Amino acid sequence: MSLATLLEQYGEEYLIALLTTWKLTAIAFSAAFVIGILVTVMRVSPVKPLRVFAEIYVQIFRNISGAALLILLVYALPYLNMMFSYFTCVIIATTLIPSAFCSEYLMSGINTIDVGQIEAARALGLNFTELVRSIVIPQALRSSVIPLTNLLVSTMLTTALASQVPMDPRELTGLVSHINTHAVGGVVAFFVSAFLYCITAVVIGQVGLRIDRRVRILR
Amino acid sequence: MEENIIELKNVEKYFGTLHVLNNINLSVKRGEVVVIIGPSGSGKSTLCRTVNRLETIDSGEIFIDGELMPEEGQELARIRSEVGMVFQSFNLFAHMTILDNVTLAPRTVRKIPKAQAEKEAMELLKRVGIESQAGKVPAQLSGGQQQRAAIARALAMHPKAMLFDEPTSALDPEMINEVLDAMAELARDGMTMMIVTHEMNFARRVADRVIFMDQGQIIEESTPDKFFDAPGTKRARDFLSSIRTQ
Amino acid sequence: MNKAGSRTYVRDALFEKPGPKALKKIRLVTALSLAALILLIFLVIRQFYITGQLDARYWSFFLRFTTWRFLFIGLLGTVEAASLGGVLALITGFLLMLARISKYRILNILSAALIEFTRGVPTLLFIYFFFLVVPQMGIKMSALWKVVFPVSISACGIVAEVLRSGVNAVPKGQREAAISLGMSEAATFLRIILPQAVRFVVPALISELVIVVKDTTFAYVVSFPDLMQNAKVLISNYDALLSVYLVVAVIYIIINYLLNQLSLYLAGRMDVSTVNVAEV
Repeated sequence: MSLATLLEQYGEEYLIALLTTWKLTAIAFSAAFVIGILVTVMRVSPVKPLRVFAEIYVQIFRNISGAALLILLVYALPYLNMMFSYFTCVIIATTLIPSAFCSEYLMSGINTIDVGQIEAARALGLNFTELVRSIVIPQALRSSVIPLTNLLVSTMLTTALASQVPMDPRELTGLVSHINTHAVGGVVAFFVSAFLYCITAVVIGQVGLRIDRRVRILR
Repeated sequence: MEENIIELKNVEKYFGTLHVLNNINLSVKRGEVVVIIGPSGSGKSTLCRTVNRLETIDSGEIFIDGELMPEEGQELARIRSEVGMVFQSFNLFAHMTILDNVTLAPRTVRKIPKAQAEKEAMELLKRVGIESQAGKVPAQLSGGQQQRAAIARALAMHPKAMLFDEPTSALDPEMINEVLDAMAELARDGMTMMIVTHEMNFARRVADRVIFMDQGQIIEESTPDKFFDAPGTKRARDFLSSIRTQ
Repeated sequence: MNKAGSRTYVRDALFEKPGPKALKKIRLVTALSLAALILLIFLVIRQFYITGQLDARYWSFFLRFTTWRFLFIGLLGTVEAASLGGVLALITGFLLMLARISKYRILNILSAALIEFTRGVPTLLFIYFFFLVVPQMGIKMSALWKVVFPVSISACGIVAEVLRSGVNAVPKGQREAAISLGMSEAATFLRIILPQAVRFVVPALISELVIVVKDTTFAYVVSFPDLMQNAKVLISNYDALLSVYLVVAVIYIIINYLLNQLSLYLAGRMDVSTVNVAEV
């Protein structure tokens, strides 16, 4: 199939698929970011059970494969009387895994902070809240820009998991599989999706680099 | 008004089995400059850090301007804000400009309006000779400039006393004097100061009183001239001669 | 003593040594969170119980040797695919890295584009390419290679970047010293730069292997007999989906956890921090 006929026949579906991939990515990344922050707060807290819980959480979801997690959510949970829609399962899987990595990146961002600066803030009379707000969070976030942009890209790649369950509308990977099982889409069908993924990844990467250049902390 | 700005009574501290502070009794009067010297590991830095509770103590009492140093909470933060501290490694906030470093505490702790805080900050930066660096971030400054900025940052809270924890130990030799000069000027202006340092000439020039520590104890306490010319204990004599032969 | 140089963790510095009031608060929150966690565990177990998933028939076959042997055979498939994929990714990644740092601009651009491409496309899409598109082109390929190729293509770009960061991390003086001793550029690179660079990046490469292992779980798409695929057989034999998939998931988590720990251990021993690569 030539590019022209492919786009004529499936052009609109590709557009919808691209938007669907973006939508899944946006939802999953935002949720992962929020959970990642919560988990990180638990990990630095002086409360042992929370620290242990958060640590186990991170180890589970940074080490489980997306396929295994999605299969558990879709096929195993119903045995526990817990049924979620396919869409929800995909969102949960593509949120939980990046959330663990998000926490890892935030932790290393926090660990780049010089302990001396925390002491200096304390010596100036800043209380815990003020210290966290004006020293810890700004520094941790500003040194996590590149890891977090990489995480946004890998969250997008993780959303390809959606192709493993019936979804309407399909996202970019599901669409290629759909086209190729119903017609001979060939290499072109694959490359259109690959190109759309890539261009998104490159744009995200460039924006990330720009932000990083502006906020990077000189040391 | 209380005569003693800083007062430590029977302060004890252990790191595990190591007795780092052994029955410390010490006071610094208003406007007095006390220099603490001693070999490394003698506990002098720890002593300095206990004054505003960056190090906790196991027993004893610490008073700042007559107020007992509380163990925690807003009261602790308030008293800390009244004692300036200058660290060996400057510890400027790396993500902020020099000006923001100086105005952060006045604005967040004292709720002083931005414009007023910045006006005062610029005056302080001028006083330590780095007003032209106000818009830069710490990494763009030399070590000496950073330490002077750190002094300005501490002064911005109008502290009742200033603590200096080896303020020149991390500096290249050619930058030590600019920091010592700024400290000497502070002393002349009547600031109450407690200084841990290895700069013996500076100690002799600026100190009202010298305290010699070793193995967690205050071994000797006297005027600088007497201490440096005729130390009263063998340990102080050994320490001074070991420094002079270096 | 807390002097510059002695490493205090930010976590410990963030919370001061608590006073009596703070200590009370911490104890209270500790007790509450412990209770909440116990409740959570209880609820999970209860859910297993009331849905009958704790029944002996779902778990008893895990006591049989044959079950584990069967899973182990599947695991061998996973190991086969992952190690072939890893080696292939290492070779192609190395070539990409050479092209990326070569003095020919055209090679630089080409390899940079390829690296971006492999990093920007999901592994699953590559799998569908080999599963659906390649056969359309009349090329026959065993299921193993339908896993190995996409997995290694997906990893090679990051491997190239990791290797390049390792090369960049070797001090300039090393090259200058070797050249001044009369070594050729090629010999300098192969015998001086590369060995040091590899040392720097071994931990990051092991982390990358974790991603390769994870990606091989898509093997079921092309019906390659890996751990996941053999799990399916167990499931239909014993009619026990939940327990089998749970055990399999735990096996994957443990393998990847151990690989990550190995990476951390090596990084710590060599005193290099792991090069940060996009994971997941």
